[in-house]
Amino acid sequence: MTAEIDLELPARAENIAIVRHAFGALGEVYGISEQRLSDIRLAVTEACTNVVVHAYPDEEGPLEVEAKLAGEELTIFIRDRGKGIVPRPDSPGLGLGLPLIASLADNVKLGHDDDGRTEVQMGFSLRDRDDELVGATR
Amino acid sequence: MSGESARSSHENKAVLRVDAGPVGPPVLARVVAMMLARAECPVDRLDDALIVCDAVSADAPAHSADGHVQFTIATHPRRLELRVGQLAYDGAKRLLADAELPGLGSVIEPIADSVRIETSPRDGFEELVIELGFEPALATEPQGDAQTS
Repeated sequence: MTAEIDLELPARAENIAIVRHAFGALGEVYGISEQRLSDIRLAVTEACTNVVVHAYPDEEGPLEVEAKLAGEELTIFIRDRGKGIVPRPDSPGLGLGLPLIASLADNVKLGHDDDGRTEVQMGFSLRDRDDELVGATR
Repeated sequence: MSGESARSSHENKAVLRVDAGPVGPPVLARVVAMMLARAECPVDRLDDALIVCDAVSADAPAHSADGHVQFTIATHPRRLELRVGQLAYDGAKRLLADAELPGLGSVIEPIADSVRIETSPRDGFEELVIELGFEPALATEPQGDAQTS
């Protein structure tokens, strides 16, 4: 199975819920288990929250979400056109976002894409820990 | 402040690009439902909008110019604009025809306030533009603002 979704929204807190719902639909269509889908949505929420909170301190900018499903591997890219991932001593958060993402995803890459956009890439296997294919459990 | 707050929650824009797989219709429906809820669209009109989404999203990939479909969803204080592109030449008209039900005809045009086809002068691709108006379901002024005045 393969699928590609690109979603671009203004980087506002209210729009993170839209992204979460979009992944809920993806999970329903492909029968992703509730546990795995919960991990995915939490990691996506954290990455999107980082964009909303940190990427555009002075003006509104885009939040870009891309999901690619290839076989049993889901790769998600969260991108912005902000100032990049830099240390921020005055951060309003606890600094737990990226470690949380790293604990939920099977692999994480931080950097920039070919267009210079800040990018968080997260990979999720859609197999459970016991190596059974994650399927619809409902 | 309250004016800015109301404007930001009512005016929103999302660009959703999907391939021809099964994920397009449910994702579009979720995105549109969330955006309309934010815009305080009443439930009956939200239901209308989802009927339109279902009607266009299922068949749109068959008429796209490159196998992908781009839905541009914009909410305004009393209006939803849904753009479906990039469609091949005559694709928008064919998409509207596909959305007709036997014996009932078009399900989109009776629900929408306006339906039009725009053609890009640059590449000739088409975009189906559907607008739905609605009266906000709730008062837009937050209670907190009323108490502080």
